[in-house]
Amino acid sequence: MTDRRRFDELIHPATRLSIVALMAAADWADFTFIRDQLGLSDSALSKQLATLEDAGYITIERPLSERRRRVRARLTPLGRDRYTGHVVALREIIAGAPSAG
Amino acid sequence: MTHPTQAEARVALQAAERARQHVIDRLGLPMWYWWGLAACWIALGVLADLHAAWWLVAAATVAVGAGHSYVFQRLDAGRQQSGDVRVRADVAGGHTHLLVIGFLLALVGVTVGLALALAADGAGHPSIWASVFVAILLVLGGPRVMAWTRGRATERTTAR
Repeated sequence: MTDRRRFDELIHPATRLSIVALMAAADWADFTFIRDQLGLSDSALSKQLATLEDAGYITIERPLSERRRRVRARLTPLGRDRYTGHVVALREIIAGAPSAG
Repeated sequence: MTHPTQAEARVALQAAERARQHVIDRLGLPMWYWWGLAACWIALGVLADLHAAWWLVAAATVAVGAGHSYVFQRLDAGRQQSGDVRVRADVAGGHTHLLVIGFLLALVGVTVGLALALAADGAGHPSIWASVFVAILLVLGGPRVMAWTRGRATERTTAR
C-alpha cells in the first residue's frame, strides 16, 4: 500500500504541480486547454508532459476529432495517487507535522 | 531536494487550487442550451394554445424531451461544456445532473400551474404567456443554477 502522505519531488516543481492539479480535477484535458489556462508555451508544456508520461503519471492520447488531430492528457491512477499523497504532505508541512518521502 | 518551508508549501497548495479552479470554471451548460430550451418551451406553449391535435402536441413534447436528453448527455450534464476538458464526476458532484433535471421539472410545474391560473382568470393564450414567463426564468435562472454548482464544487474540493 502506498504512503498517502508522500512528498513527490517529480510533481513539486511549480509548473508540474499546476499541470497535475489541473488534470486531477478532470477526466481528461486537451493540450490546448492546459496550455492556455496555465499560460505555458507549447514547448514548455510538451516537455513537462513528456516528463510526467515517462514517470507513468499521465497518458497521452491522440483522438481524431472532426478531422483534427488533438492531443489529450489523462492522469493515471499512479499519478492521481502520487498527487494526492503530495497534497497531504504539503498540508502536513503547513500544519507543522513531518511528512514521509 | 529539501522539503519546502511552510510558506513555500502554502504557495504550492494555492497554485494547485488555482489550477483546479480552471477546470471547475468549465462546469456549466452553454447559453445556447438555455436559449434553445426556452425556444422549445415557448413553441410547446404556442402549440397548446393553437388547440393543435392532441397527437401533435404529444409528439412535439416527446421530440423536445428526446432532443433535450440527447443534448444533455452530449454535454455530460455540464461536465463537458467546451469539449476541451471533461470535469471529473466527483469534482462536479453527483447532484449536478439531478439538480438540472429537478429545476426543469419544477419549471414544468410552474408552467402548468400558471397556465391553469391564467385560464381560470379568463386570460387569452394562457399557455403562451405561461411558457414565455418560464422561458425567461430558464434563460436567467439556468446559468445561476450552474454558477451555484460551481461554487459548491469549489467548496467541496477545497475542503478535501
